[in-house]
Amino acid sequence: MTHAAANPRSRGSPAFHAITAHEALLLVIVLTEIVLFTLSGRRFATGDNVANMVRHSVEIGLLALVMMPIILTGGIDLSVGSLLGLCAVTFGKLWRDGGLNWPLAAAATVVIGAIAGGLNATLITRLRLPPLIVTLATYSLFRGLAESLTRGVDAFTNLPADFLFLGTGRIAGLPAQAWVLIVIAAGVWLLVHQTSFGRSFRAIGFAPEGARYAGIPVNRRVALTYVLSGTVAALAAITYTARFGTAKADAGTGYELAAITAVVLGGTSIFGGTGTVPGTLLGVAAIGILSNGLSRVPATMSSASELTGILTGVLLLLALSGGALSRGIVRLRRPTTSGKSQPHPVSS
Amino acid sequence: MIRHSRELSVAAALAVLLTLLAIFAPAFYEPQPLLSRLASAAPRLLIACGVALVMITRQIDISVGSLFGICSVGGGLAASNGAPLAVAVAVAIGLGIAGGTVNGVLVAAMRLPSIVVTLATMVTWREGLRLWRQGVFINLPDGGQWFGLPMRAGQITICCFSILVVLFLAIALRHVAAGRFLYAVGSDAEAARLAGLRPNWTTFGVFALLGGLTGLGAALHMVQSPQVDPATGRGLELEAIAAAVVGGVAVAGGRGNLWGVLVGFLLLSCIGPALTYAGIKPYWDRTTQGVIILMAVIADGLRRQKGCQ
Repeated sequence: MTHAAANPRSRGSPAFHAITAHEALLLVIVLTEIVLFTLSGRRFATGDNVANMVRHSVEIGLLALVMMPIILTGGIDLSVGSLLGLCAVTFGKLWRDGGLNWPLAAAATVVIGAIAGGLNATLITRLRLPPLIVTLATYSLFRGLAESLTRGVDAFTNLPADFLFLGTGRIAGLPAQAWVLIVIAAGVWLLVHQTSFGRSFRAIGFAPEGARYAGIPVNRRVALTYVLSGTVAALAAITYTARFGTAKADAGTGYELAAITAVVLGGTSIFGGTGTVPGTLLGVAAIGILSNGLSRVPATMSSASELTGILTGVLLLLALSGGALSRGIVRLRRPTTSGKSQPHPVSS
Repeated sequence: MIRHSRELSVAAALAVLLTLLAIFAPAFYEPQPLLSRLASAAPRLLIACGVALVMITRQIDISVGSLFGICSVGGGLAASNGAPLAVAVAVAIGLGIAGGTVNGVLVAAMRLPSIVVTLATMVTWREGLRLWRQGVFINLPDGGQWFGLPMRAGQITICCFSILVVLFLAIALRHVAAGRFLYAVGSDAEAARLAGLRPNWTTFGVFALLGGLTGLGAALHMVQSPQVDPATGRGLELEAIAAAVVGGVAVAGGRGNLWGVLVGFLLLSCIGPALTYAGIKPYWDRTTQGVIILMAVIADGLRRQKGCQ
């Protein structure tokens, strides 16, 4: 019995799959949020605020989109928030102290992001270390480097106006940075849902050994997901810097949690093997609307950031428990003649 | 391969560092600052040991820093409201056990991955504390500092007490059946189950124990200063994990001991002052910490690869 066959999505032939029960539930949650905040919030459902919401969700959306393939393979990347900070600082440094013009500095930053992702990938695939511990170490390293480069206090400001346009301007009616998100979302969607890469990510997530015997170059596929994550974290650093107008060492603190939450909320199994791009985007929307909405409701306005943190944590736990409970129910329903077959390789 | 080679090499590194400090910065060894430094490090050592126990069981807990803050504030509030010191300490430990229990239930009973569970509890506790206290410091009553002892006696008490706790844990881990369970569960939970252990209870217990140690550490930290900073404990989880990894606790579980953690913790604690004496600015601290963790992790990986061949 192969899990891949049980999963209709992994056949990959229909361009648009019917939405899953999980995604439908999430859609209901998102719509409920919208209704509640429209009724109770001040100036929530205005065009400006919607654009604002999109702007604020782009970085977490980018990180979540590339976190999803990693979690599909049964891995995790805790270093993305720190890498965002490091890339923001590197970008500022290259632009101000290195004398590069901003497109060149941005391109160099993306390369640095890819190299940082490559460091994670090398340690995880070559040394066979758990992704958790590797990215926990680089989480500390990248943030530390960002602090060291800026001596803990330096910030890069007075960025050129055409660069700030990326963070505050509009292109064809949409916030400029939304186009970055759309392009990356389309790319990841193609990769995960339309190519054999996506199938191999799932196969690795279900059973790494099985995937290897099936002829999948497991190391190369896994490495690809981490390099992709580093590259896109650098892109997120650029849109983040453009949005705030400054590059500081504390950029993106805690974004790894938000990204992981969005992915898990979006129905991706934390044990690997199942997950979708539309689900992830819905997860991002649920968090983005929650955080924006709380800051628009008079009762929660003053403590919106704390409440968003608490609710994100609680939502993550609820999403995980929901997954665990449904797994438990499936296990109960299934006749257990085949003994205790492990449904997922439990990543440590 | 020599047994305990990792612990011995870390101990050698510590010896080299201490020798270098003795030659180039003898001021490091002046008794009073050294004692103060040890006393302020003692609570963190307890937590590092707790995290090591969790890692030996093949789990991880990154919520200890936030939990430490909650325990400190809880104990501090009890003390500032006139409760006797013993009650304040009990409150801190109780809150710690409660926090550990939450993680334990979610990981052991619900079978959720510990990294995501503790990531969620880390941010929930931290933001909850911020919401509750809004960053206000708590002033502690005068009598409670250093358990009412003179400062030096208080510091010696804290150091000795912490060493006793670590000693107790280290011996229990090696010679008591419950301690061996951690290795069994960390090496192979399924095999441990077939051997008649209850991996879920072991996992639950080790999280609750870590919570209790976090509360104890918070209490020992609280008596050292006249105020409680609600942001205390930030980044503690990484420091603890680093000490465990440097001290030879295998990241994949089932291997390591608390002597190694003790040596690793001392090594990491000495690097900060050593860098200061060497004239390196404090904003390099975190980078150094990251590099050291990474080196320890790489050493672990290389050794495992060698072990496979």
